[in-house]
Amino acid sequence: MSTAARTTWLRELIRKPFFWGVIAIFALLALNVIKDPNYLALSVNPVNGNLVGNVVDILRASAPILMIAVGMSLVIATGGIDLSVGSVMAVSGAVAMVFMKDAGQSGSVGVALGAIGLALLVSAILGAINGVLVAYIGLQPFISTLIMMLAGRGIAKVITEGQNTSATNDPFRWIANGFVIGLPVVFLFAIIIVIIVGLVVRRSALGLMIEAIGINPKASRMAGIKPTGLLLTVYILSAVLAGVAGIMSVGTVMTVDVSRTGYQMELDAILAVVIGGTSLAGGKFSIGGAVVGALLIATLDKTIVFLGISSSATPAFKAIVIVVLCLLQSDRVRGWFVQRRKPPMLRTPSLPAEPKKQEVSA
Amino acid sequence: MSVQRRFSKFLGLAAVGALTVGLAACSSGGDGGSESGGDSGELTTVGFVAVGPEGAWREANETNIQDTFTKDAGFDLKYAPATNLDQKSQIDAFTSFVDEGVDVILLSATEASGWEDSLERAQEAEIPVILLDRGIEPDDTSLYVTRIAPDNVEVAKEVGAWAVEQFPDGGNYITLEGPAGVGVVNERNEGWNESVEGSALVQVAAQTANWSAEEGKSVTETLLKANGNDVQLIFAQNDEMGLGAAQAVEEAGLEPGVDVKIATIDGTKAAMQALADGQLSYVHEYNPLFGDTALDVVNKTLDGESVDSYIIVPSEAFDSAEAAQAVLADRKY
Amino acid sequence: MTEPLPIVEMRDISIEFPGVKALDGVDFRLFQGEVHALMGENGAGKSTLIKALTGVYKIDGGSIIVAGQERQFHGTRDAQSAGVSTVYQEVNLVTNLSIGENVMLGHEIRGTFGVNWRATHAAATDALAKLGLEYLDTHKPLSTLSIAMQQLVAISRAMAVKAKVLILDEPTSSLDAAEVEGLFAVMRTLRDQGVAILFVSHFLDQIYAISDRLTILRNGRYEGEYLTRDLDRHALISKMIGKDLGALSSLGGNRRVEQRDYDAEAPLLAAKGLGRQGSIEPTDLDIHTGEVVGFAGLLGSGRTELARLLYGADRAGEGELTLHGKRVDLKNPADGLGKRIAFSTENRRDEGIVADLTVRENMILAIQAERGWARPIPRKEQDELVEKYITALNVRPADPNRLIKNLSGGNQQKVLLGRWLATKPELLILDEPTRGIDVGAKAEIQEAVAQLAEDGVSVVFISSELEEVVRLSERIVVLKDHQKIGEIVNGPGVTAQQIVDVIAAHGVAAAAESDIIDAEADVEPSNDPDTAHTPASAEEES
Repeated sequence: MSTAARTTWLRELIRKPFFWGVIAIFALLALNVIKDPNYLALSVNPVNGNLVGNVVDILRASAPILMIAVGMSLVIATGGIDLSVGSVMAVSGAVAMVFMKDAGQSGSVGVALGAIGLALLVSAILGAINGVLVAYIGLQPFISTLIMMLAGRGIAKVITEGQNTSATNDPFRWIANGFVIGLPVVFLFAIIIVIIVGLVVRRSALGLMIEAIGINPKASRMAGIKPTGLLLTVYILSAVLAGVAGIMSVGTVMTVDVSRTGYQMELDAILAVVIGGTSLAGGKFSIGGAVVGALLIATLDKTIVFLGISSSATPAFKAIVIVVLCLLQSDRVRGWFVQRRKPPMLRTPSLPAEPKKQEVSA
Repeated sequence: MSVQRRFSKFLGLAAVGALTVGLAACSSGGDGGSESGGDSGELTTVGFVAVGPEGAWREANETNIQDTFTKDAGFDLKYAPATNLDQKSQIDAFTSFVDEGVDVILLSATEASGWEDSLERAQEAEIPVILLDRGIEPDDTSLYVTRIAPDNVEVAKEVGAWAVEQFPDGGNYITLEGPAGVGVVNERNEGWNESVEGSALVQVAAQTANWSAEEGKSVTETLLKANGNDVQLIFAQNDEMGLGAAQAVEEAGLEPGVDVKIATIDGTKAAMQALADGQLSYVHEYNPLFGDTALDVVNKTLDGESVDSYIIVPSEAFDSAEAAQAVLADRKY
Repeated sequence: MTEPLPIVEMRDISIEFPGVKALDGVDFRLFQGEVHALMGENGAGKSTLIKALTGVYKIDGGSIIVAGQERQFHGTRDAQSAGVSTVYQEVNLVTNLSIGENVMLGHEIRGTFGVNWRATHAAATDALAKLGLEYLDTHKPLSTLSIAMQQLVAISRAMAVKAKVLILDEPTSSLDAAEVEGLFAVMRTLRDQGVAILFVSHFLDQIYAISDRLTILRNGRYEGEYLTRDLDRHALISKMIGKDLGALSSLGGNRRVEQRDYDAEAPLLAAKGLGRQGSIEPTDLDIHTGEVVGFAGLLGSGRTELARLLYGADRAGEGELTLHGKRVDLKNPADGLGKRIAFSTENRRDEGIVADLTVRENMILAIQAERGWARPIPRKEQDELVEKYITALNVRPADPNRLIKNLSGGNQQKVLLGRWLATKPELLILDEPTRGIDVGAKAEIQEAVAQLAEDGVSVVFISSELEEVVRLSERIVVLKDHQKIGEIVNGPGVTAQQIVDVIAAHGVAAAAESDIIDAEADVEPSNDPDTAHTPASAEEES
């Protein structure tokens, strides 16, 4: 019976769309450990008591990806896509940097908060423009956000007058580089925000409605759901999260590089969402999956550097990992896997337990 | 990335109210809006087939050219930046300059190959062509007057020489490269290797950080861990990556300039500031400001004088905080 | 009938889904040149058996023999190449493509340079001609056809591949009587050509009209195989539901007999000249509290279109609507919902269910939409509500966490009914609530409607089955050609035939006028009944 319970548990786990993402993270970590047995070692910096280690670096690097991946998963769930997140990151970073550069006062918390507030406000406006184009004007999300992707970089350049802009502000820098009780602030922030978004989405009916309009917009409309407000909310949320990601991103070096900050991050976000098991066709989404996807991408980026894979081979290596992962996630390939597990499954007494997601059709 | 360039150009043009002209420029590569035609009878017409928005260095370079070939100096400069760094748009612009019959063409090619036909047409029309910064492949010097550029190989060689001198007993170093496969990256690697080969310096890692400070920091952070902080030198192929690396070095509990020396190429103002602050140890300028040289060459060419087929723009090296301090005040870029 | 070897023989078929035995030792035989009806209630395993035959599901036990060979199909394509073609319960076509492309999809005729479209369309016309549809323009997009016509195109498509076995899963559920007759004619032709036809329908009349033999399933088990002529209706239904019919016969006693004084009470809802260009002519209509008003008319008569205006699914282009004596403008479904109006669509798959959500989520969707996303319904309240309607409407399986797409059509319909009842509507519009569902579920829904009216809810009841309309309604609004042509106050003497007569009589009158209409057609193309045939699709609110 215990083996039966275990196989059921295993099977449940394998059915989770992000199962292979978790496996991939562990596989990559294992690869690093093979290169350096001390890879996972954490030490405490004797001076400031902060945790030091490769894993800590991965968590820090994953923070901005986490932000945009969570936003992206909601947008994709509605059946849309947000290509502008990378550009919004650049705009947000540019606004914050220029604001702080002009304000001076490198130690002022007020200046930092002002910069953050202004950056998020501008991000929200850009998101609202996306939302209006999609929800009210009825443009295709791909086109609307593509426009914003192009426009965003332009806006960032206008804000910074085309220059890479640096500023000094210790509280702001602390967000990306600081530590609290030994843990990196930026990751704590990211996780808190993810949890808040997750709670809001799942505890309210927002998640249900997003899924409903993503799965069947016509039926949702007939059920009285007004998609416009929802879409606007989702695109604003995505942009604000991208704004947070931008702040985290420029905060690490206190420089905004208008052509590189957030560059191609929309692709990372989309990948993270897909790895997490949310279908690009919209509908069901998984914030947990997006978190796994974001962590995987950060791990992958760091592994490439750690293993010393040559720059020219980097894209290929990344592509291979992601292709393998997507293959493992495909229903067909997963079918093979489950098939092989099937004989022992059949021997287990069919439990009266609630049959959850089996495909039963009359 | 290329598209966003187009957009920023787009914005700029819109700002001067030359939207339609700008759109036409995208396809024909004609007058990009810097000049509004008019009677230029006594002026020397110069067609500038340019790269357009690419980064701080390029901006400094092209602004410098535009500031040099002014009407006051007797020139009518037609500025035609590439659309999306697209070579085709450059060739279109080049061709229309030839058809227009400008007096001289300045060319900063986005791609090295594929220029033979265009250059031959210019030669038939007896329009001299001067290459700025970027060279062409194959390098047929009979097709153009001269190439004016700082020399990447030479600059990197000097950085390498400095490194060898700094570490006579050897040491471990990391190279932070630009995107894989780009010509500049290859040239800077080539020059560096020329100097460093045979020395006691050991390259423990070479990794791209895509010219970006943020990536420079992230890559350095991991490479330091991968090597147990046993790194004495970082060669960053541009300033931004070096600036990012400096922060990673600090966060790893090491002191830039003492535990780890960082050398960069470009010489932007931010890098000079960092050098002055002791964050960086060595900055080699890659001089974008060669408008005067170009002006000189143009005048000489039009007067029928001959010039060398390759004019290297001198670039300065800065190896101390004091040297950086001295130029910081009037650094333009 | 002599019995040669069956073209399809399925022996002792078992299919298990974790926790559920969908099929348990089922036998099934299909002979060439017969129409074989597969009978059973929703959930009896009809669709599962068909999917086992067509290779959609893998069988866990038993064997499938096609044309003397043991076969195991992997997917419909496999089955198709062995001569087994299927038309599914819900139309499954690509509405963006042309009619011809849909008919020939995957079987386009190829020339030297890719698809030879001319030949492909010619072949499509041929295939359509077999169903008497040669008048269709194969180049027109499929979306210009009504659902009924799309169904026929789906059948043409199955026939285009020269099938030896044709599986028709509920092909008649969206056809009107004339269309059904046309289909039957084709089925007979095909049967005479030796095609074996497996036919599923919930209309007993149709089973007796067309089938030669039938196999009955109940709860995933084989109940028996009979010659149709040997089994009377009573016996058939009893075998399907596994109990005697007594309970069902008493239906119809629910119809109200007392007469209202319509002038004396103010109507709940009054429409004056309510219309929408190209979908329904200006219409006057009163609906009183606690009244069941039937909309009778053929498909495309405007009955759905009128109902959509009453809910706000489409916005009225002209006329006015008053509710409780107050003028209202319903711009979108949310407006209708807010005014305590509910509308259950005829197009269950596209406009009804949200397939990948659970029964619970589907049921609470409308009330949640009305509350807004920021005020979620507490889980406990949800569970109580869902539990209540699952029990009241006898939804099977009674599992609120099952995905709705895994329920049978009839049970999906009950869940949707639950969704609308949960909104506590004053006016409930039911468009074809009983289409494509079995006798038992149909009776349950009819009972629910009668009970609602008893409780003071006004109901608009739309059905192609006139008997059903007559049985349930107090008043019957008769529609034809996008306009209301009459209103019948129901009473003891009213029969379905009377309604048919009203429609037919109007037809004669209309035919007499048709010269005039034709003359006007050039001036006002939007009134062309052909183009207006499709229900105006939901226009997005701006």
